[in-house]
Parts: sequence; structure tokens; C-alpha cells
Amino acid sequence: MAEEEEVLMEVEALQAVYGDDCLVIEKFPPNFHLHINPRTADDSSQQFVEAVIGVRACPQYPEEPPHLEIIGSKGLDGHRKKHLITRIQEKAHELSSCLMLVALCEEAVETLSNMNHPDGNCPLCLYPLVLEDKQNSFLPFMKLMSCFHCFHSECIIRWWKWLQEQKEINPNTSSYDTVCPSRDLENQREMHGTMKANMGNCPVCRMIFHTEDIEHVLNLVGTHSFQLNLEETEASSDEALLQSDSENIRRQKFETLLKLQQENSGLIEPKSIEVLLPGTFLPESITIPTVSVKATNKQQQGDPTSTLASETDSSGSSNKPSTSKPKNSGMRKYRAQNSRKQLKQWIKKENSATE
Amino acid sequence: MQRSVVKKKVMKANFVNPVEETMTSSSAPSRKALSKIACNRLQKELVEWQVNPPAGFKHKVTDNLQRWIIEVNGASGTLYANECYQLQVDFSEHYPMEAPQVIFLSPAPFHPHIYSNGHICLGFHIANADILYDSWSPAMTVSSICISILSMLSSSTVKQRPADNDRYVKNCRNGRSPKETRWWFHDDKV
Repeated sequence: MAEEEEVLMEVEALQAVYGDDCLVIEKFPPNFHLHINPRTADDSSQQFVEAVIGVRACPQYPEEPPHLEIIGSKGLDGHRKKHLITRIQEKAHELSSCLMLVALCEEAVETLSNMNHPDGNCPLCLYPLVLEDKQNSFLPFMKLMSCFHCFHSECIIRWWKWLQEQKEINPNTSSYDTVCPSRDLENQREMHGTMKANMGNCPVCRMIFHTEDIEHVLNLVGTHSFQLNLEETEASSDEALLQSDSENIRRQKFETLLKLQQENSGLIEPKSIEVLLPGTFLPESITIPTVSVKATNKQQQGDPTSTLASETDSSGSSNKPSTSKPKNSGMRKYRAQNSRKQLKQWIKKENSATE
Repeated sequence: MQRSVVKKKVMKANFVNPVEETMTSSSAPSRKALSKIACNRLQKELVEWQVNPPAGFKHKVTDNLQRWIIEVNGASGTLYANECYQLQVDFSEHYPMEAPQVIFLSPAPFHPHIYSNGHICLGFHIANADILYDSWSPAMTVSSICISILSMLSSSTVKQRPADNDRYVKNCRNGRSPKETRWWFHDDKV
């Protein structure tokens, strides 16, 4: 009898701890149902699973562990249900012959808290709700408060917005309803009655849900700056891509320009000079042995008129004076004089032009 | 809002008569390309289909994600046993928000809910609403539609056209999509 009193006290303790969640069917031997939620600091929007477990002890309790079963559950697949019940059963064996009811219930809540996430794919986009590697980032999924069906927050909000949009486009009667028979009008009214503003149907079970049901994710819209309009999303991402591309091109342009500037000691438009003076396309000619420079100087001094003539004639024949020499050296000559006598030549040219 | 209204009008204007189309070519209808979301979802559905196709259906492989051609084999023990039909499923850019357009290619099976032009009235007798039109849900998939269609075929007791077939088909000749003419399905005479 002393033992029975102890057990009765335990059941009382249980009722004190769990309150309305604990439905006592029989006090002795203890038989009760317990509604368990994952521990989420009472934030029910973050509870993706729940279960009702049935505990039925025999008169030999606590010598014999009680019979345990899952009576109902939401959001739990078979695999996780099995895991939940095994964990409690293991605990029961562990605590065999002790008073264990409260401990078992705590174990159940603990286990459930550890599997508080939806399973499978989002019914809207068909991609997994929970990504293995991203479990600790902010929750990308939500549940409808009434039916526990889970979706990616983004997906359900897109559907919600779409519903609202459609209602605005076809308020009660749409273009093709004009010829409809009276019976259809009734159907229409019925349908739109259930689809009033701020209401939608769960895409999975068609249970009606209200703004309040998705409020907890609508708030996310602001804080996480969701891009709801898919076209906008694409546009902005495209834009970003374009910008980065054009930015790269621009950067490259500037870099090459800078390089050119450095090579030409500050000259920004070296090309126009190159165009004017043929033969300059040979890059190695910039490093010219001083001997050849002297030689060209001599040559230039020796035959200044011919140079002038050739310059005035046409730029194409400007290496005429060097034709007597091997072609290669002639080119080099020209290059060397190019940098030195540029100014002089220009003046000459101008003079000749005025003549 | 304004913009989407305009879009809808354009889509209607561009719509090609499905009947004519089925006879002439298999080219894509002149409509807007799938959105990125629609594309992702359809690719996912196609992969799932390849792994686990609905019994009695065969997807004809094409590179057109926006139009699926599906072979339907009548279930054994039904009126349509050993018969093969072809379904054409067209997706709008807003899929899965918008239901796809599903029609039978010619020749369409004789059935009290299938018109001779291939248009289907699916589910009126069950839920007082048609899952292809009014009661579409984005959680439905091509696969689930196919299963509904096969179930509709299998439950038929007579091989005949809908009572208003001629009137309906005549009405569709100007290129109406079945979505636009859904009111017809709710006619008292059906």
C-alpha cells in the first residue's frame, strides 16, 4: 500500500508539471496521455513536430516498466516516431524498478526537441526543407499553424502573394464567367467565399489558413529582405552580374591604359604617333645601341634635305634615306630618331606645309 | 498589378489553338518562357519522374521542359485496357502557381468528361471543382495529375463523348484554352 501511495503521488506530480497537457485516465495503476511539444520557449510557430504519448502501467509498476506508445503525432515520419518511442522505452528499462513517470516524460520531450524540424521536401519547390549543412542558419522553412504542413518560407509567401494578386485581378467574377449558368454562379460564390481576402488554402491539405498563420514568416520578409517577386529577383541578380562584368571590363581598360601611360612615360595617345610613323611596330628597336644612334645622327646631318623631302612627300616613304643601308638597321635608325627629333620634325613639317 | 493584367491579355492573344497545333506541329506555343522557379521545379519533377514514374505513364523525352508529351496506357480490367493515348502538358511561366494546361492529343479517348478536341474536365463529379482549373494547388505535380486522369479513365462505365461535345468543341474553335472555358464544365447538362 505504501508503494501505491508513492505511485499516486507521482501521478499528482506529473499533473502538476504538465497541467492540461497531461490527461490522466486512471490514477492507479497509472494510465495517462501526455501531449508533448518540443522546447521552443513556448514559441509555437517554431514547433514543427508534436506528439501524444500513451503511458499505461500495470499493477506491478514500478517493478515492471509501463507500456509506452505514440497515440498521435504531427510532423513526424515513421522513422522519427520509431526513434522517439525507442528512446523512451530504453529509458524505462534503464530506470527499471524506480518511479520513472516524470523522467520518462522528460526524456520524451527532450527527444522530441532534438528532432524539431520538418522532414522531406517543400511541397511547392520540391527541394529539401532542411539542408544538412545549413541547419544552424535562420530557419528557411515555416509551418502553417493549423495543419503543421511545412514549406520554405519563401515558397509559401510567394503562393500567398499569388493568391492575393489573383483575387485582385479576378474579384469574384472573372471574364469567362459572363455566360455561366446560375448553378455555376453559386459555385463561384462558394469558392470565393472561402478564398476571401487574407485567407488561403494549405496547398497540401486545403485547410483554410489566415494571415495570422503565416504572420511569423511575413515578418521575416522585412528582416531578411526576401525578394518575393521572382521577376525582381532575377532582374536584380542579372543586374548585379552585369554590373560586375562591366566593372571588370572597365577596370581592365583602365589598367591597360595605365600600362600604356607608364610605357610611354606619360603619353596618353601613343597610337596616333605610331600611325604617323611607319616602322614603329618593332618593339625591340626601343633599346638601340648608342652606336647606331650616332650613325643615324650622322646620316641625318649628312642628308637633311632628303629626310625633309621624304617627310613632306608622304609618311609612307619616310625611311627612304636609309634604303642604301640594310633594312633592319634603317628601321632602328628611324626609331631612334623618332624619339629624339620628334619635335624638330614636326616643326619642319609645319614649315614645309606653310611654304 | 497593372503589369500582370497586361501580361494575361498578351498571353490570351498569342494563344494558339491547341487542336490545330496538335495536327500541324509540335513546336512550342508562342508564350512566355518559364521563370527560373518554374524551371527548377520542372527539372526536379522530371528527375523524380525518371526515378519513380507513375504506373502506366511514359514521358516522351524531348528537350522542351515547357511541354511534356506523356503516353497513357489504359489500366487493365477497365474499358481502356490495351489502349494508348497521349497527353500534352503545357506549363505557363508561373508554374506551379498556375495550373498546367493538360489536353489529350488526337485521338482523345471516348469518355464522358473528355471532349473530342482533347479538353478534359477533371474532378467535377468528385469535389465539385476541377483540379486542372479552379482547385489547382501548387503542391500537385504532373505525376499527381496523371494519376487523377488515369483514375478518371478507369472509373468510366461508358465510352462516349460528353453530351455537349459538339457545342463545346465548336465554341473552342477560335483557339480558346480549356482554362478560359471552364464555365462550360459546370453546365447543368454535363
